[in-house]
Amino acid sequence: MILRTPPPKKPRSDAGGSSTPTGNQLVIFEDSPLPAPLQTTSHEHSSDQHLCTYQCRQMVKSDVLDALSKAEKQAQEYQTMLQTLNQNYTQADEERKQFRDKFLYSEQELAAAKGREKVLQEQLLMEMDNSQERYSKALQSCHDLEVKLQSEMNLRSKAESSVATSEEKAKLLEEKLSQLSGSVERERKRLSNDISHLGKEAKLSVSRIGADLERMQCRAQSAETESDLLRSQLEDLKQKFDECLHEKTEVYKKLSSFTSEAASTSDNNVLVKTLQEELKRCEAEVREARKIKSQQLDAELLKVKLLEEKSRRERAESELSKLPELQISIDMLENELSSWKSLLNNIPGVSCPDDIVMKFSALQKEVLDSTMKIGEASTRFNQLEAALDATQLGKQNAEIEAALAKEKFVALKSDVKRIEAMLALVTEEKEQLKAVVSELRKSDSDGPVSATTDATLAQSFESSLAKKENYLKELEQELSQLKDVNNRQRDEIEHLNDKLVSEARRMKSLERDSDRLRSEISLLESKLGHGDFSAANTRVLRMVNTLGVENEAKQTIEALQAELQKTKERLQAVEELKSQSGDAGKLVDSHITGKIAQLKEQIATLEKREERYKTVFADRISVFRRACCELFGYKIVMDEHQRPNGIPATRFTLQSIYAQSDDEKLEFDYESGNTSILDNQYTSQGEIAKQVEIFIRKFNSIPAFTANLTMESFNRRTLY
Amino acid sequence: MASKTAAAKDIITLHGSAAIVSEFFCYAANSILYNRAVYPEESFVKVKKYGLPMLLTQDESVKSFLSNLSSQISEWLEAGKLQRVVLVIMSKATGEVLERWNFRIETDSQVVDKGVSREKSDKEIMREIQAIMRQVASSITYLPCLDEPCVFDVLAYTDTDVAVPFTWVESDPKLIANPQMVKLHGFDTKIHKVDTLVSYKNDEWDEEE
Repeated sequence: MILRTPPPKKPRSDAGGSSTPTGNQLVIFEDSPLPAPLQTTSHEHSSDQHLCTYQCRQMVKSDVLDALSKAEKQAQEYQTMLQTLNQNYTQADEERKQFRDKFLYSEQELAAAKGREKVLQEQLLMEMDNSQERYSKALQSCHDLEVKLQSEMNLRSKAESSVATSEEKAKLLEEKLSQLSGSVERERKRLSNDISHLGKEAKLSVSRIGADLERMQCRAQSAETESDLLRSQLEDLKQKFDECLHEKTEVYKKLSSFTSEAASTSDNNVLVKTLQEELKRCEAEVREARKIKSQQLDAELLKVKLLEEKSRRERAESELSKLPELQISIDMLENELSSWKSLLNNIPGVSCPDDIVMKFSALQKEVLDSTMKIGEASTRFNQLEAALDATQLGKQNAEIEAALAKEKFVALKSDVKRIEAMLALVTEEKEQLKAVVSELRKSDSDGPVSATTDATLAQSFESSLAKKENYLKELEQELSQLKDVNNRQRDEIEHLNDKLVSEARRMKSLERDSDRLRSEISLLESKLGHGDFSAANTRVLRMVNTLGVENEAKQTIEALQAELQKTKERLQAVEELKSQSGDAGKLVDSHITGKIAQLKEQIATLEKREERYKTVFADRISVFRRACCELFGYKIVMDEHQRPNGIPATRFTLQSIYAQSDDEKLEFDYESGNTSILDNQYTSQGEIAKQVEIFIRKFNSIPAFTANLTMESFNRRTLY
Repeated sequence: MASKTAAAKDIITLHGSAAIVSEFFCYAANSILYNRAVYPEESFVKVKKYGLPMLLTQDESVKSFLSNLSSQISEWLEAGKLQRVVLVIMSKATGEVLERWNFRIETDSQVVDKGVSREKSDKEIMREIQAIMRQVASSITYLPCLDEPCVFDVLAYTDTDVAVPFTWVESDPKLIANPQMVKLHGFDTKIHKVDTLVSYKNDEWDEEE
């Protein structure tokens, strides 16, 4: 129990005194045990008071003790409360720290997320821009290709229309050909009729010739019988002639004997006259015998002619047997000729057979050009189709990329939303933490010591946060730079990929072109190997006197020459006969003379042609030689000879027109394309040898040598 | 001729190149006639050319024919008018074309028009011609046998503006129907490029197969 009116406070000097009241300490007021002298006066009062006070003190003590115990209990309670509060404070502080850390971390995450979001947005924007650009480019290229395709389709339609027109033209030409073939058949029929007429005429002539032959045979038979008779007569006459000759000799002997005896009587004259008459008769008989002999010769000639006629008849019969084959061949040739002539008339722009070839070559050229154009158009069409496919592929790729970019954009949007949600959560947490921190700060505002420490902690946290933020910014910058580098590399990779795709496409087109060209080359090579050529640019020539023809010509020439000799002999014999014989065999003579005249004409023409060839060749050779001499100043003599090794070589001897003597000659050997100078007296002379050494041995130029020699000779002649 | 007209071995003129090609054709024709037995073996004599033993015919008619041909070919080559020379082997009895030895010639028109010269080693040209001659000799392994007597002829494919000499006439190309073709080596003088190809009639055995 505490006194209601406490006594005034006395300073405690001793140790038993109570402590000075400081703060919330309990002050126990006690009476002093040693009262002072002042206290003696009040000693009487004090006994009662002592008793009272003792009880009071005991009461107070008990009260104080109770109060003390209560206070102690309260203090303990307060201590426990303080401890709990301290614990709570530490816990709250820790929680605050944790929340602050979380707050900082969330702020960091938020900043990172913002940065990522920015970067992603930038990326997305770039990708969108790129995809839009590509899409627009692809659209433009598609548009261009569509325009090209349209133009190519137009060209193709034009080419098809031209092909159709050419086909129509071909059909028209075929119709014309069919018409021509009809006209040709009519011509053929007409010609066959003509040929049948000619055949009949030939038959008639053959029958006439047969009749003539029979007549000739009869005449020959009659001539034979006549010749037999004449021969028998001739023999008789010969005998008679011999007898007459014998008689003549006897008569001459007699005459001589008569003349020697010198007896001239009339009987002798008569005898002489008779002998003369006999002589005349004998001479007449001799003349008759000669006539008969000549007639016999004529008969023999007629026999020969008969044999010839027989052989000719056989030949005519054999040729008649060949007549149908000849007629067939004539028909075919006439058909061809008529067809060509009708073609000539019907083909426009053609006036002679030579024009047909040109026309055909021109038409072939046109066809080739048109096929080439069609081929080129088809190749271009294929190329455009390939390009269109490629652009469509690119378009599809661009669409796919756009879809991917859209998906990425959607994903990024979702990421952004997620990050925003995270950010909202983090901001909520931050606000919660801020509220907690403020509450803690408020709860801790009573304790000034903790506040200062919190402020220092916060300052340190803030400084570290600032440092970390700076570090984060630097990291973000580096990250952005790296991302830029990555984006650039990605763009380069994409660009390279595009290039690669385009190069692959170009390679494929080139491969196609190379295959096409290879096939064309093989086709052209096969045509070249086959021997095809264009008549407009090329002409095929061969030598006239080829070896087989030469041999055949020689044989035919020899045969003709033998025939010519025979005919000449026969002609002489016939001319002799003609001069001696009469009308016998006049008709045969006319035939023979006609043929002889023909043969003579042929011989004359052949001889003339040979002479003409010789003169032309000689003229040309002489002209060439003279021209060479006048142009180059050297007379050239060519001589063929064979070397010891069997290889033929040609020797050329050159003499300058300005040469002062005949010894000034140059000799060259030409063999298989190689020309070499031969040493002789002239070339071994001093100056000439020097020139040979310089121009021919050193510079390998024979024209320079000859030109120099000509100039020197010319100078010598003109100056001297 | 090239070695004579060139200051160094490597320079080739138009005249020299024409001489080389015409000489090559002469020797090639002789080799073909020998290897295909168009003329009997005993009518040929061995000479050294292109570093190989070459066979030349001694038949006067063939010799004169080939020499006239060679001179005309050389003239056309110098004028740049010759496109092809074809040696045709035909059956003597039927006249059917059995083989065509096709020598296609490409001429450098700049050399013909301007008269410039080119450079190429003579040895290399000779090596190229040697390879062709070896191939001609080895052609008997795959060409069908010519069991019947044959004759040969030479065709010249020229430009249309060439003046035809009086010893030459226009001819048909004497083609073979459905031939087999074998491409041989060629040679190039840098002025004239010659490609060789032989086309022959399918053998009956090959047709049956």
